[in-house]
Amino acid sequence: MRQIRDNSLSIAFGLLLLITLAAQSIVGLADYNSSARTDGLAEIDWWRYITSSSFAVDVAENWQSEYLQFTLYILLTVWLVQRGSSESKPPGEGGLESDREQRMGAFAEPESPAPVRAGGWWSGIYSASLTTVMAGIFLLSWAAQGVAGRVAFNEGRLRDQLDPLSLGGYLTSPDFWVRTLQNWQSELLAVGSMAIFAVFLRQRGSPESKEVGAPHSETPPP
Amino acid sequence: MRLARALFIGYLALIVLVLAAIFVIGALAR
Repeated sequence: MRQIRDNSLSIAFGLLLLITLAAQSIVGLADYNSSARTDGLAEIDWWRYITSSSFAVDVAENWQSEYLQFTLYILLTVWLVQRGSSESKPPGEGGLESDREQRMGAFAEPESPAPVRAGGWWSGIYSASLTTVMAGIFLLSWAAQGVAGRVAFNEGRLRDQLDPLSLGGYLTSPDFWVRTLQNWQSELLAVGSMAIFAVFLRQRGSPESKEVGAPHSETPPP
Repeated sequence: MRLARALFIGYLALIVLVLAAIFVIGALAR
């Protein structure tokens, strides 16, 4: 029971993800088949839909933008600050910080992760592993959006008796970029507004918020 | 930490498997 409670955040979000993904597949299928009926095309079953490029591109385009958002946030908050925001380091503390502050190099502890105790290259790679993995998922999802988006887009072009686009042609097409940019702008808005809202607004009990009585100008240390 | 490690691997595996499936779907032009 304690194990579950100690990991409740990751478990809850994982379950919500699975429920939402399942729901997306069900209503997505209904939407797809409704369009198919209107266009006089054959309806498809659930398995055919979740293995279709149409479902794949919808999933990938949202994934890539979320991972871009977190990658940018993790990286930019190393150097950039927002005075008074619980999402920021205090002004003047921007940068990679010293080995002492980061408990690495000569300041590694017996309980530090193995790559940190190993030092050298391992420690260097490990010190950017969160950004590396998040950026990697962003790039892979974005590439997946391109690959699946092209197939889904070409399906429509073939129906309209137009030539299919090559991958290069699709990656420079308005369809690819409108799917990309409509997601990027919403993520950037959410992150930017969160950074500044957290200066003046509070949620009692949340580590994402300052203490309710904390002054607006106070930037809490991480 | 056992459950935490399992969740870490689980999330990574889900992401990798779904992305791999999407690339396969794209390659098969479904």
